[in-house]
Amino acid sequence: MNLSYRIYHVFFRNLMSYKRFILTTFLVSLVQPLFYLITFGVGMGAYMGAFGGKPYLYFLVPGVLISSVMMSSTFECLYGTFVKIVHEHLYDSLIATPVSAEDAVAGDIAWASFRGLVSGILMLAVAGLMGILPVSVLSVLVLLLVMLAVGIMFASLGMIVTSKAPNFDFFSYYTELVITPMLFFSGVFFPLSNFPGWMKTLSQFLPLTHAVAISRAAFSGEYPPSILLNIAVVVGLGALAFVVGIRMMKKRLIK
Amino acid sequence: MSTIVSARGLTKKYGDFTAVDGIDFEIQEGECFGFLGPNGAGKTTTVRMIHCVSPVTAGTLTVDGSAAGVDNRALKKKTGVIPQEITLDIDLTVYENLLVFARFFDIPKREAKARIAELLKFVELETRRDSKIDQLSTGMKRRLLVARALLNKPRIIIADEPTTGLDPQARHLIWQRLRQLKAQGVTLILTTQYMEEAQQLCDRLVVMHQGKILKAGDPRGLIESEIGKDVVEIRMPPDRDEELLARLGPLACGHERVGDTLYFYCRDGIGLWKALVDLDLPNTVHRPATLEDVFLKLTGRSLIE
Ligand SMILES: Nc1ncnc2c1ncn2[C@@H]1O[C@H](COP(=O)(O)OP(=O)(O)OP(=O)(O)O)[C@@H](O)[C@H]1O
Ligand SMILES: [Mg+2]
Repeated sequence: MNLSYRIYHVFFRNLMSYKRFILTTFLVSLVQPLFYLITFGVGMGAYMGAFGGKPYLYFLVPGVLISSVMMSSTFECLYGTFVKIVHEHLYDSLIATPVSAEDAVAGDIAWASFRGLVSGILMLAVAGLMGILPVSVLSVLVLLLVMLAVGIMFASLGMIVTSKAPNFDFFSYYTELVITPMLFFSGVFFPLSNFPGWMKTLSQFLPLTHAVAISRAAFSGEYPPSILLNIAVVVGLGALAFVVGIRMMKKRLIK
Repeated sequence: MSTIVSARGLTKKYGDFTAVDGIDFEIQEGECFGFLGPNGAGKTTTVRMIHCVSPVTAGTLTVDGSAAGVDNRALKKKTGVIPQEITLDIDLTVYENLLVFARFFDIPKREAKARIAELLKFVELETRRDSKIDQLSTGMKRRLLVARALLNKPRIIIADEPTTGLDPQARHLIWQRLRQLKAQGVTLILTTQYMEEAQQLCDRLVVMHQGKILKAGDPRGLIESEIGKDVVEIRMPPDRDEELLARLGPLACGHERVGDTLYFYCRDGIGLWKALVDLDLPNTVHRPATLEDVFLKLTGRSLIE
């Protein structure tokens, strides 16, 4: 791995290119999670009564927050990166400078996780306005770390997909067959304890399940022992996807 | 003069396909060295290996004393690349394109700003500083690519068909600038399909075809050894070839029939031209030999796909 501090130069390039429409981009990425909060949280929540002693929204917010991080960072590394490689030939000019292919890809992963982080922070602000806040300042700090780790994980997984993508259509296999189902099987909307056994088992193989579990623990400030497994999965899978994603992208970029 | 690039048995394969087939060449510091060749000859592939973005399959390639390779940041630092494709950052303005690129080379901001102002002047784009890339003409985009390639004050500049698709004004401006750089001692590596460009700029060149080097030399020397001095073209159907060759052949040092034209290559075309006047044929041309004749003779006059 030929990585260097030049990752930041690539991050800076992305920041510069987004600065004109940064506000709209971030606000747009809030729409879908807000939609979930309103339809599921406020609409259905009215029929669901108390959920472990608290209104349903308290259950929903930590999950929706993490899925908004997942969405933002995933999409950035799918469509965003693909456009830069194929349509804008941006990577071609990057790798002719002292910025290595690894730096370039890692810089894009960093940027995608940053976008995920910002989406998560905006969601946190919205949740705060609805009166739903993490229990302590420490919880907020833990949440920020979780969002960052989850962003890196999904950005890197996105890179793996992009490294093999011949065209845009390829991405809908990933989003429709992996990302969207994951949203419904990871305990974002309903507690996993109500699922039948096979679904519980399946959900353990979904990275989002573990991310949501950490987020929920951070919100409540109660950390069950299973949190260690959750952290191990997010960090381990994140690190693995990061290395594999960069390797596979390098193979695509350097011929 | 010392050697700055040297290649021995340089080979590049894409899967089973051999794009560059064991070529040898040496480029001297401070000269302009050209790679000429038809589409698909392997020019871009060769220069991409020189500027370290494409790994060498076999053979050796040494640039400024170190082995070229994709992880060679030091070499990339002293090389400027004007790519064949327009690879500008379309999300950024002209100025931002240069500013971001300067960062990639770790040029401090203050220095970068001064350098950008200087370079925008050099390529006559000062008034376009804040334009978006899609507001630029092709000529302006190519000039911006030149400016971008110069940010790091490179010792080696690689220009891959730098004037493709440009009008004569823009083309001459780029030639001017490239010559200016050469005068400053920069080594220039050029690929082109325009013979005039090669004749204008190159001290030495190689003609490539299907991954191999067919001939190497300086433009004038190549013309003289391959063609001679003059070319006589007779545009007419081949039915009288036998008669014409019998009368004119002995006066020329070579001939070739391509489509509707019979070419005679001569050391001295005057004798042949006189005989031709006696024959009183319509549609004849007598002109000095050019690099284009060499190119077509070496790579064939039919389309190569
Ligand atoms: N990434 C690649 N994978 C497979 N084949 C390639 C790749 N890049 C180039 N080639 C092939 O290698 C050969 C040489 O290509 P190259 O681009 O070096 O030619 P060129 O001389 O620059 O031509 P042009 O004048 O069209 O730019 C061509 O046949 C091309 O199709
Ligand atoms: Mg080419």
